[in-house]
Amino acid sequence: MTEPATDYSPSLDTASALAAEEHEAAIEGRSPWYLAWRRLRRNYVALAFLGLFFLIVICCSLAPLYARYVAHTGPNATHLAETVIVSGKPRQVLSGGGFHVGKSGELVPNAGGVKILGPTWWHAGGRFLLGADQNGRDVAVRLLYGGVTSLKVGIGSALICTLFALTLALLAGYYGGWIDWIAARLFDLIWAFPVLLLAIALGSALTINGFHHFGINVAAGSLWIPTFVISVVLIPYIGRPLRGQILSLREKEFVEASRGLGAGPLRVMFLELLPNVASTALVFFTLIIATNILTEAGLSFLGAGVQPPNASWGVLISEGQDRIVTAPWLTIVPGVAIVLTVLSLNVFGDGLRDALDPRAKVKVSVAAHEHGADT
Amino acid sequence: MRRRQRTERILGVLSLAVGLALIAASVGVGAKSSSAASQKNFTNLRVVLDTIDYLDPAQAYTAQSAGIEFAAFDTLVTYAHKDKAHGGSKLVPGLAVSMPRISSNGKTYIFKLRPGLRYSNGKPLKASDFRYTIERLYPATSQGVGFYKAIVGASAYADRCLHSCSGHIGGIIANNAKRTVTFKLTTPRGDFLSTLALQFTVPVPAGTPAADQSTKNLPSIGPYHIINYTPNQGFTLVRNKYFKPTRFVPRPGPDKITVKLIGDANAATQQVINGQADYTNAAIPPDRIGAITRRYGKRLKLAQQANTYYFWMNNRSPVFKKLKARQAVEYAMNRTAMIRAVYGGLGRPTQQVLPPNYPQYKKLSLYKGPNLAKARQLVRQAGVNGAHITVWGRAVTDSQQAVTLMASTLESIGFKTTIKILPRATYYTTIGNASTPDRDIGWARWLEDYPHPSDWFDVLLNGNRITAQNNNNYSETNVGKINRMIERLNKLPLSAKVNKQWAQVDKLVMQNASWAPWVNRLFPQFFGAKVNMSSVVIHPIYEFDYSTVRSK
Repeated sequence: MTEPATDYSPSLDTASALAAEEHEAAIEGRSPWYLAWRRLRRNYVALAFLGLFFLIVICCSLAPLYARYVAHTGPNATHLAETVIVSGKPRQVLSGGGFHVGKSGELVPNAGGVKILGPTWWHAGGRFLLGADQNGRDVAVRLLYGGVTSLKVGIGSALICTLFALTLALLAGYYGGWIDWIAARLFDLIWAFPVLLLAIALGSALTINGFHHFGINVAAGSLWIPTFVISVVLIPYIGRPLRGQILSLREKEFVEASRGLGAGPLRVMFLELLPNVASTALVFFTLIIATNILTEAGLSFLGAGVQPPNASWGVLISEGQDRIVTAPWLTIVPGVAIVLTVLSLNVFGDGLRDALDPRAKVKVSVAAHEHGADT
Repeated sequence: MRRRQRTERILGVLSLAVGLALIAASVGVGAKSSSAASQKNFTNLRVVLDTIDYLDPAQAYTAQSAGIEFAAFDTLVTYAHKDKAHGGSKLVPGLAVSMPRISSNGKTYIFKLRPGLRYSNGKPLKASDFRYTIERLYPATSQGVGFYKAIVGASAYADRCLHSCSGHIGGIIANNAKRTVTFKLTTPRGDFLSTLALQFTVPVPAGTPAADQSTKNLPSIGPYHIINYTPNQGFTLVRNKYFKPTRFVPRPGPDKITVKLIGDANAATQQVINGQADYTNAAIPPDRIGAITRRYGKRLKLAQQANTYYFWMNNRSPVFKKLKARQAVEYAMNRTAMIRAVYGGLGRPTQQVLPPNYPQYKKLSLYKGPNLAKARQLVRQAGVNGAHITVWGRAVTDSQQAVTLMASTLESIGFKTTIKILPRATYYTTIGNASTPDRDIGWARWLEDYPHPSDWFDVLLNGNRITAQNNNNYSETNVGKINRMIERLNKLPLSAKVNKQWAQVDKLVMQNASWAPWVNRLFPQFFGAKVNMSSVVIHPIYEFDYSTVRSK
């Protein structure tokens, strides 16, 4: 199953180096998954970022508890007219603005405009920890709830995308012929559009009226819409490499042997081919979660993704952009959350890729495609 | 000799008198010139607007284009450009010599045209041009046709125009020799004169094609002539050399007005800050309003064009057919806080339909609040606690924010809400369509077409005018007493007594809690450093009056 590493050359890649250090004797009798785990657990950077990702997931999962017991508010509850005690001093959530009557009876705006309560850190008993937004909502609460939404959309769409891509790749790769032709053209068709533009077009169309066809009813504001849109537009990024890999695998002796022993198509696909591409699919799955979180943020920022008042990190940035000078926390806080999540997934995904196959160089790069490069 | 002496004496006295008169005149001129030194005409007033729908008066229907057309054109009756006594909202003669003679039954209006009126191309204005102008609205499929359907023969003409416009509207009688225009109505309309002041009746020469003439340098009868319109870029207003000023429509100040169209409010604001423009009415972005009010506060004014922003509550929906449920919303709303959040406090909280700059306005405060406890109690009493309702909004920033705040308020008094935001273009047609499901409550606004209560109550709240499609009565208010009052008052000319009755309609509507009005907005007007701010006139109907401004 595993071919000798004939083209191996020393590199600075940690995982490659780890793999090179392994003695053949140690490899003997171990499953590839065990070997991958051994490599991965020695990649402390990847593990640290996996820890960071889990920390983010745990924090977001605790959103309802934080909202109820610390912030004492919900993600969409507004507190426009409230006063909060910050370090013993009363501060209005929203203050200033308005107008007055000038000397000659004309109406003149008051100087200074509206001021929004900034981060209180822990000086207000946990309320408005990261400040308020223009609707008087608690940013910290919305950040956590927004994280849940972004992660749901990111992971959900990655799961759907990977499953679809894997199924298509297996069918196309195993059967070949017209099935392969259809699958390949489908990938080409989707790939012919710039990812974001296609996602915006689909997202905008579906967010207006929802999807009500073929007995499927999805309401306009449903999270299924961005999840589905993102999965569709990214299918070729996983499907094409997997199809290529399966096309090559189906010619291998072990597949022929299996067929010779009387195995049917499903058995060959699921018991022979699938285990051999599972590691690649797993790496793609991990890396594409990050891409999907970014795509969701982009779509929501442009109004074609998650719909307000539902919070998502993209929605939070979009809502805060009008006040980037006077209330920068509205954009900085969700921006940092996106950066940390995507960074943690990318670093861990790289580590996982190196661990599963130190010689493989698979990457998911939407930008690379848009600039004409191959993956 | 004596005679000669007397003559010399008389000449001496005369020369002294002439000398004194000259001195007095020179002092007067001096005074005038020193005043003129502080207030000069703009040779070119540079204006930045975000968008213009049309410049053809048959098609233009937005506040932006109405403001421009008010400066450029003239109508039979109009609103004074400078009218301190009435704030510019009183109807005055425009192209007519005087206000019309109105028959005792209120069905006939006779106008006499001013003599010597000419279009900017030099052609004389004929009385028959007015008939042509109104008839042109039909083949042009103008949005203005609805305002003139009370004219005798207008409906028949509209029917004919479905195939091919032929003949004339019988109720418009033009006599070119006597220079009179007579309008005959099927029924008295108290607001008919107001509709004749709308830009739809700006006269155009007979034979002007029905198709949009925005880019065709349409001849003007008013102070300016609009030329060189390039959609999405701009246009210019130049003086109409044939314009004859009157007491109410004076000779305009700026020699030329150059209008640039810039959709980005940030960029428009920056143009004024940089000195590249003298005026913009762009909505100053919330991030900049604070800094701009601090640094350029003296160059900012607020226009209070008549408007009411409200939430309609569908009187036929399962939840809001119950009066107590509607009243609960009235009590729950924190209007002042909402205005601060959505418009930076630039607006007046309101609990009624009519805006405060109407003579029929009588301040109402039926629902003291915010009173969440009372609102929750009313929701429980109505038996709708926990009911699921849909809150509708339009995909524009202020609507979305207001809808978010309203949904939060509704949640806080016991409802479960879903927000539905529709695109700008389809919002009103969707909520005005009887077959759209879940029309419970939603955002809306009304900016007057003309300053008359009929333009509010008859259009928006008369149950007899509810239609299955394109309905403007989003709340589907259909209260017999209110309908009857509206229908009766529609026919009466405005007077102190009639004004009181319109105020009563306002009260009845709010007792029925058909709407949850929340703000009469104020619109910032930002002026450049060259503008002499004491000359700035903010017109109650058309915002900034371009024609009266002077430079420093």
